Amino acid sequence: MVIEASGFNLLGGTLPTSATTENPTKILCLNQVVTIDELRDDNEYEEILEDMRDECAKFGDLTTIIIPRPDMEGKLIPGVGKVFLEYADTVSCSNAKNMLGGRKFGGNTVTADYYPEDKFYSADYSG
Amino acid sequence: AGDGAGRKRKSRWADDEPKPAYQLPDFMGGIEFDPEVQSLNSRLLEISRKLQSGLPLDDRPEGARSPSPEPVYDNMGIRINTREYRAREKLNRERQEIISQIIKKNPAFKPPADYRPPKLHK
Repeated sequence: MVIEASGFNLLGGTLPTSATTENPTKILCLNQVVTIDELRDDNEYEEILEDMRDECAKFGDLTTIIIPRPDMEGKLIPGVGKVFLEYADTVSCSNAKNMLGGRKFGGNTVTADYYPEDKFYSADYSG
Repeated sequence: AGDGAGRKRKSRWADDEPKPAYQLPDFMGGIEFDPEVQSLNSRLLEISRKLQSGLPLDDRPEGARSPSPEPVYDNMGIRINTREYRAREKLNRERQEIISQIIKKNPAFKPPADYRPPKLHK
């Protein structure tokens, strides 16, 4: 959406960037959702995936869910504990962001942020 | 096992919590304003004041009193069941009874430290 300021615009058409509005993307990153221990357990991982799919599909066309898992050696993997959701469009994504942010998942209060699309598509989950 | 298609496991997602409504705390317009509880409270206050005042508790004139029970003495030969003592006991019993009633109506009521809940088998 483009907002046109009426009258004089001394800045030559650039919109003021005072308010740090987040750039909406199609990717939503849920933080502090799951623990490493939960992700190590195959059954729990499947359940978490299922719960995510069921709930997050309510807000729009959910195309991908990525839940980074820890490796068996216990090395720190970027993005573990987070859940990445790809929606078909930014509207669905922003809808999900509004609805999921602050909700509780397994006792953890979830925060939801947009995630850069380029990073997501290059499988960079380092946040 | 138990992995049937119809199985409905509870989601880890907590139910969408309704936004906290701005409502008055429970004690506003609640049990405290119940007229019955109010009258119990004021009677309790009255009794407590009487017990602490040190004034004679039985101030009925001689003619209005009922006959005294047989005197009871302790082993020092001092009478135990004086008029004053009996009046105090009576007020104490009423006080405990009132507190029980308030608690029954308002479980959140904090009874005074010396309150003993009545024994059921009594």
